[in-house]
Amino acid sequence: MLEVLFGNQNTERILFTLLLSKKCYAKQLADRFEVAVFGVQTTLQKLERAGVLISFKEGNTRLFEFNPRYPFLLELKQLLKKAYEFLPKEIKDKYYEPIIRKRPRRTGKPLQ
Amino acid sequence: MKNINLKKITIKDLAKIIGAQLSKHGIEAVLVGGACVSIYSENKYISYDLDFITYESNKKIKTALKEIGFEYDKKKYYIHPDCEYFLEFLAPPIAIGNQPIQNFNTISSNLGSIKILTPTDCVKDRLAAYIHWDDKESLEQAIIVAKVQKIDVNKIKKWAQEEFNGEKIKDFIEKLSI
Repeated sequence: MLEVLFGNQNTERILFTLLLSKKCYAKQLADRFEVAVFGVQTTLQKLERAGVLISFKEGNTRLFEFNPRYPFLLELKQLLKKAYEFLPKEIKDKYYEPIIRKRPRRTGKPLQ
Repeated sequence: MKNINLKKITIKDLAKIIGAQLSKHGIEAVLVGGACVSIYSENKYISYDLDFITYESNKKIKTALKEIGFEYDKKKYYIHPDCEYFLEFLAPPIAIGNQPIQNFNTISSNLGSIKILTPTDCVKDRLAAYIHWDDKESLEQAIIVAKVQKIDVNKIKKWAQEEFNGEKIKDFIEKLSI
């Protein structure tokens, strides 16, 4: 949808993911969208260099999030929100809003 | 450039030399970030990172800086084998929060000149980092600059009010008056 504006599909996927999930990392996105990690990393780094994203290391993982100091962040998010509304429900459910348990689970508790 | 010892150069002089070299190639750039803190604080805070913002292409920058021995490395910095400082060119625009920056200071000498954030904008820039990421070092840098340079505190308060509802700016005002 915004792929043409952003130049590639990875950018759209990254930005939609961040809009919904606040944080992301390359491997997570590569697994979710079944694409090469390298391509995702390249796009994440491009967005970081452009000042759209920032990154932090957490353990061995480099987490990316929107740069709160990006001067067009508000407008970008508005555009993304509008575009996201137009995504088919199946795509939203599959890629951006899968049901993932977020509440804690005690270490060692058996899965049922 | 031939007579300048890059091993002993100050950040301020290096910024001016880079400014002159870029200007020779028709490149307009502004120095932002920690280097401004170093310069305004008279090195009470030391930065080895000179961040510039320009609208010119990387190709043009690479050509200009190669002439004076600064090479582009894989980590996207420009480095010189004799110089402990490294240069980085950040993506435009020049902004602090939602506000574009239009007015700058110029520092100059016989070495050259470079546009640089004003002391007030330099303080705002550091405070924004403190407010967004709770980075205490940025708060300290803002205070160092504010104590050495003449800044417009009312302008900073107004900006903080508009951008962050005045949140956390009290920490700065309190520390400034100690």
